[in-house]
Amino acid sequence: MLNVTDLRVYHGPIEAVHGITFQVKPGQCVSLLGPNGAGKTSTLSAITGIARATGTIAFDGTDMGGLPVEARMRRGLAISPEGRRVFANLTVSENLRLGAAMRPEGQAERIARWFDTFPILGERRDQQAGTLSGGEQQMLAIARALMSEPRILLLDEPSLGLAPRIVAQIFAMIETLRQQGMTILLVEQNATQALRLSDYAYLLNNGRIVAEGTAGTLGQSDALMAELTGIG
Amino acid sequence: MTLSRAQRRGIVGAALLALILIAIGLAATWFGSRYQLRLVYGAYVNLLVVLALQVFMGNARVTNLSHSAFMGIGAYAAAICVTPEKIKAISLPDAPWGLNAFALDPVSSALIALVLTGLVAWLVGVFIVRLTGIGATIVSLAVLVIVHGLFLYRTDIFKGNQAFFGIPQLFNLTWVVGLAVLVVFITRGFRESRWGVALRASADDEVGAAAMGVDIHRLRLMAWVLSGVLLAVAGIAYAYYLGTISARPFYFNHVFLTLAMLILGGMRTVTGAVLGTFLISFGLEWVRWLETGPVVLGIDLPEALGLSGIVLGGVIVLTMALRPGGLMGDREIEDLILK
Amino acid sequence: MDYVAQQAMNALSFGAEYALLALGLAIVFSIMGLVNFAHGEIIAVGGYTMVAMAALALSNPLIVIGAAVLAAVAGSMLLERVAFRPVRYADPTTGLLTAFGVSIVLQNLFLLLVSPRPIAVTSLYFLDWPVDLGAIRVSSLQLFEALTTAVVIVALMLFLRRTVLGLAMRAASLDFEMVRLSGIRANRVFAMAFAISGLLAGIACVFIMARRGSVDPHLGFDPVLKAFVACVVGGFGSLPGAVLGGFLLGAVEVAMLVMLPQSLGGMTDAFVFGIIAMVLIWRPDGILSPPVEKGDKI
Repeated sequence: MLNVTDLRVYHGPIEAVHGITFQVKPGQCVSLLGPNGAGKTSTLSAITGIARATGTIAFDGTDMGGLPVEARMRRGLAISPEGRRVFANLTVSENLRLGAAMRPEGQAERIARWFDTFPILGERRDQQAGTLSGGEQQMLAIARALMSEPRILLLDEPSLGLAPRIVAQIFAMIETLRQQGMTILLVEQNATQALRLSDYAYLLNNGRIVAEGTAGTLGQSDALMAELTGIG
Repeated sequence: MTLSRAQRRGIVGAALLALILIAIGLAATWFGSRYQLRLVYGAYVNLLVVLALQVFMGNARVTNLSHSAFMGIGAYAAAICVTPEKIKAISLPDAPWGLNAFALDPVSSALIALVLTGLVAWLVGVFIVRLTGIGATIVSLAVLVIVHGLFLYRTDIFKGNQAFFGIPQLFNLTWVVGLAVLVVFITRGFRESRWGVALRASADDEVGAAAMGVDIHRLRLMAWVLSGVLLAVAGIAYAYYLGTISARPFYFNHVFLTLAMLILGGMRTVTGAVLGTFLISFGLEWVRWLETGPVVLGIDLPEALGLSGIVLGGVIVLTMALRPGGLMGDREIEDLILK
Repeated sequence: MDYVAQQAMNALSFGAEYALLALGLAIVFSIMGLVNFAHGEIIAVGGYTMVAMAALALSNPLIVIGAAVLAAVAGSMLLERVAFRPVRYADPTTGLLTAFGVSIVLQNLFLLLVSPRPIAVTSLYFLDWPVDLGAIRVSSLQLFEALTTAVVIVALMLFLRRTVLGLAMRAASLDFEMVRLSGIRANRVFAMAFAISGLLAGIACVFIMARRGSVDPHLGFDPVLKAFVACVVGGFGSLPGAVLGGFLLGAVEVAMLVMLPQSLGGMTDAFVFGIIAMVLIWRPDGILSPPVEKGDKI
């Protein structure tokens, strides 16, 4: 579904990603792993169109280069970005309603379903999103992204800054999505959890892909673990 | 005292600008008609204003809209002090505090004007430097309106929109060119001084600067007061040449004009201030000539009042859209010549 | 007592007008950080449209009002498309200076293309007649103005809460990029913001014209200055702040007019500004300045 070829991402004059190639097949959950500063978020920014990039980003066969951000998202992308970025001055319901902007029909039912799945969001439906806890905001960010019924979900560091128990909840949610057939591109520093969910993973470091493989092979590679954890 | 590389280049740059200023002044004196001489004098006065503006706006990165008011304070202060009693008896019959009963020599008058304006600048500055960018701009707008209101209201001191006449016309082009050269060195000197450098570095990041022990409020205040004093210089140069002043020139139109000059040239550099001032001063004269509907190449052009305003506004809009850093951007004149 | 009630009515109607004007500025600023100094010229566009209607011998008040408001909306959206799009994502200073430049250009275009002299607009005089409310006498215009402003504020609130574009505009004031990442077209959000701003200017124009009866190139200068001050006092970018600032400014102005001795009459403006400056020193970011949090908990 998503084919990225020779992607170079720039922040101003600085090249942050030096030509990477990867793909996400329909129904797959693919992870981009790596330490801080490896270029994972930059890659997602390039896909959404926020960051300047060269190379080919093909979604469903068509090159998205040159398309503005909104147009790309309207093709069927949705993102829960780094830092959640919920709309702090809007209520939980309003956040979800904005998320549904691209798919307004039947949003009331979908919102109700989310409140069923996450009672806590339902409880806080009229609360300002900025007052929610980190975990609740992450749930809201993912729910908001899914309101547009996307073809592919981009998740940027969903576990960042959250307590382990909440992280487990979030990853359980992602696992459920995966089982429902959602295509997911997951960016994570928490490699263990990510590998558990993924069909395939790429390891980034310093803007390049240094390793890739199925979750099984990567998970067992000692060299890889050393690379990821810095030990051994 | 050892100078940093930037400071040495700064001296070179200021010297180069000084040469250009002197050259223009000489050309005007030798070849210019009386009308053109006045025009050039006006350009130099505006240059003084724009340089003063650059000291604050270029280093602190805050838009200031009150500069014309401070120029007015300096002009009126000097004018009131220096005008002979005989004339003040006629022009300011109701002046309070015995303002029409004395007259000082030009030097003392100028000094009083400088000190007074500096003081007012300091009083205002203490508050302004604590505000965020937009807040500071707004209070500066308030200052402009308040000062203008004062000029208009206290006609017993200022004569409002009527001409305050009788100021001895002491200055000629040589004087103002000399002043301009001096101010170029001062502004360039401030820009490359440790205060200027610190101010510029921290202009965009208050928290970071504070973390490094930089007192950004004090630096801003320094730039603000220096700016105010230089504006007084401009006001004095204005008054001592024209011989009459009124409240009208020290308000919005002048603010826009000088702002446009600084924007076009580039507010971050002294060279930008000089370039923008002369480009617009001479360019505007040409547009004003067009406004009168002259005959060009045998074609009788129609009158076009308002053209100069359109050009001025257009300059601002186009510069902001296409080259927000102005023509010079971050480069001083020596950057074009040296390596 | 009646005198107080009378002055209270004055303050209310002044305040209503300033609130309308301030809202127009605040809407645009809250989304793109642009202080739209050309807002005053949009009011003038409305005024000149009324002149055009009179020239076309169209004196039906509904047509005149409708045309003026329409022209203001169209003019505002045109400005966005042509003048402000290049500086859309630039810093506030760039935007502010661009708006200044646009304002000067427009003022001089009026001067050049229409006339430097004031032109009379009499079609709206009928809106102004004395009304007795109990013991106090007010102008019908004041009542209309206060009522219209109330309706406008309610309508605006509904729009911002119930419609997707309204939600997007509120969200955009904190995180425009995320709004785009939710698939909402930036162009639409900006166009709508300027359209609303133009609508508010158009409505204010109707009342200004009904009172003044004439339009000239520099008509917009005073209103935009007042709007600016009101926004600043209320907290630039905050919509409730704009309304609060507008009414506060109206109250202060009437208070100054009432309390200042005759001799100081000409200084009203300066005094008002002085008080504003003092408010700013007490609360540098305005009274109801909007939050800066971006909704992340890291």
